Amino acid sequence: MSIFALSNYSVMIGDKRIVDNLSLDIDAGQIVALAGASGSGKSMTAMTPFGLSAGHGEGSAMLDGAQLTGLAEHRMARLRAAKTGFIFQQPLTAMTPHRTVRQHVEEAAMQAGGARPSKADLIAMLGRVGLTDPASKLRQFPHRLSGGERQRVLIACATAHQPKLLIADEPTSALDASLRRDIMDLLTGLCREDGMAMLLVSHDLASVERDADQLLLLQEGRVEEQGAAAAIAAAPASEYGRILMAATPRMSEPMPALETPGEPLLEARDLHVRFKKPGWRSGHIDAVRDASFTLARGETLAIVGGSGSGKSTLGRAVAGLGPVTGGEIFWKREPLPPRGKRTRAHRGLMQPVFQDPVASLNPRWQVADIIAEPALQLHGLRPDADQLTQLLDEVGLTADYAQRRAITLSGGQAQRVAIARALIAEPAMLLLDEATSSLDPLVAQGVSQLFSRLQKSRGLSMLLITHDLALARRCAHRIAVMQDGEIVECAPRDILFDAPQSQATKKLIAASV
Amino acid sequence: MRTPLIIVAFIVLLAMFGPMLLPWGHAQIDWDSVRAGLMSDGHILGTDDLGRDRLARLLVGTRITMSVALAAALVALVIGVIWGAVAGWVGGRTDEVMMRIVDGLYALPFMFIVILLMVVFGRSILLVFIGIGAVEWLTMARVVRGEVMALKSRPFVLAAEAAGTPGPRILLRHILPNIAPVAIAYLMLTVPQVVMVESFLSFLGLGVQEPLTSLGILVNEGAAEMDVNPAALILPGLVLVTVIICLTLAGERWRDRLTGTGRAARMAPDQ
Repeated sequence: MSIFALSNYSVMIGDKRIVDNLSLDIDAGQIVALAGASGSGKSMTAMTPFGLSAGHGEGSAMLDGAQLTGLAEHRMARLRAAKTGFIFQQPLTAMTPHRTVRQHVEEAAMQAGGARPSKADLIAMLGRVGLTDPASKLRQFPHRLSGGERQRVLIACATAHQPKLLIADEPTSALDASLRRDIMDLLTGLCREDGMAMLLVSHDLASVERDADQLLLLQEGRVEEQGAAAAIAAAPASEYGRILMAATPRMSEPMPALETPGEPLLEARDLHVRFKKPGWRSGHIDAVRDASFTLARGETLAIVGGSGSGKSTLGRAVAGLGPVTGGEIFWKREPLPPRGKRTRAHRGLMQPVFQDPVASLNPRWQVADIIAEPALQLHGLRPDADQLTQLLDEVGLTADYAQRRAITLSGGQAQRVAIARALIAEPAMLLLDEATSSLDPLVAQGVSQLFSRLQKSRGLSMLLITHDLALARRCAHRIAVMQDGEIVECAPRDILFDAPQSQATKKLIAASV
Repeated sequence: MRTPLIIVAFIVLLAMFGPMLLPWGHAQIDWDSVRAGLMSDGHILGTDDLGRDRLARLLVGTRITMSVALAAALVALVIGVIWGAVAGWVGGRTDEVMMRIVDGLYALPFMFIVILLMVVFGRSILLVFIGIGAVEWLTMARVVRGEVMALKSRPFVLAAEAAGTPGPRILLRHILPNIAPVAIAYLMLTVPQVVMVESFLSFLGLGVQEPLTSLGILVNEGAAEMDVNPAALILPGLVLVTVIICLTLAGERWRDRLTGTGRAARMAPDQ
């Protein structure tokens, strides 16, 4: 039986058509996923029928036998409260900070006019979403919960009034890689058990193909491909589908061959980073503990771990951009001095590329000045127009970008400028700190292809810091897995995937698709 | 939307060029018409009890008050930005010490100290400056320190460090230009505060010396004869209030636009 159906549905903002002529149909217990790059209109499609976006819909949107298009706001609100549940991307901002878990779930359970649930009911609801010790969680405030726990509470809220339709807008993309699988399994399990329909919005194709029954691929508001998720994943019919499927690194793909690395360049020995706890609290946090690794010329070493595992702190410590409290770093067997004492020659050896491309460029500067800065500081030379053009070309930008201001660039363009800035220093090594993870799948693929091209042409070594094991599998010679500040395992990628030794590695592999 | 700024600009222009157009100087005595009423003997606003043209005195008073305010605010800007930037950039123990000094200065009853200084050293406009400047930079230093600390961990600053750019140059080229808009917004909020303080000191007879005048002195003089000649009190008072309100409105609007909503509520309370 169809719970939610859109037919010939379009989303308009003013006179502009954001989503064009889309049809879908979700039965009870079925999961339909909307996927596509950012700006493809997938969130608009999910929110507009319920009056929750800036746009308005045209065409038919049926929810459990009621027409939503053109419905008055107060009727829409009643229908939303009774029949739908929503789960959003950011688990923290979706909760009210001064209200306890109990108040959240109670309110959600009563939103459709239901009776106040008893404490036993509430505990059962929280137990059902996989929260440990639900009775004590009831009294807690959102800030005391971890990201995964918060998302579980929000799932309990979204399902407390037993809606017919669950709308999940990127429910896992703000979570740690190892949690994503658990949360998705929980969501799909609830749907199947209760016969809820689910509309899933996601840019994570690898996960979607496993969870969803039906899949719609959107590009700039048009449906490029629609059909059974497994069939599309196996053999996309459209060009866009093929590009999108190939863009996402996944564990099932064959490992691409990599060049053989040269002589050892960098060695970290027993690195230790300790932070004082903030404020008046006494004690320390050991962000990195006794981390040792080596990196050879032309080699990529991936450092993989969940958030808070210390991988970024380790990377910054090595590059002289963060504190080091113990241990030594060697470059070609020569010790590298600590942060404040590195000379320009030391700085020229390695250059960083960061996660947030827009924040890595000074917003008030022109691209030409941004790229020129390392050359000016390290070599005392301002690059001429030819050099700039050549460099921009190398990172896939045209010469006219030199005059643009940083704030006018998109994420992918800004990241390419950041890479050009790193290259002009002529480093032997790049520190890639989640350099592709805030980018769209297609853009991320372009940037990571750029990295492997540069590695080949310039013989660059790379320290790839990432939470994405599939990306590491695609690009890295060796992989180091970090947990709670320690490198628990470090092995060549074939060995790591064939015979993982540590519990953390096994868990990461199981959680990755 | 820009009305407050236009009004202030009008008042400033009038105070700058108005006195040139008048036949009377602010200290010039017209022996023929002492205590003249409005619009009499060529004195538009009349004359005071010494026969000096009230309009000339009002315009010059506005000019003095505004220039003292602007100068003191600029002094506050320079000290505040340097102090805050150094504290935020260096961090650690230095930051602790520098900010505790700021807290200590906040706690001083500065008006009382200025009055004491004047009693000991005699009246001088320099002391007014020092007194005002010593206090008004504190808020600026806190604001700038916060902004510097926020920018310090931004990737573009780390990238500059990785590019071998020396610390002072990073501060000068990367960080300060990015906090300039916020600093200027607070400069605009400092000016009306200083106008207020200067007028208050002058009203107490501790500010500018005769024959120069300021809005505070005019209000004081006007208060003495308000039952005979209310215009003498109302006019300088009106200019004072207009300038303070307009500058505060413009400054707050600019600050809110730059720093986003809600930030304003968390800033340090003003003196």
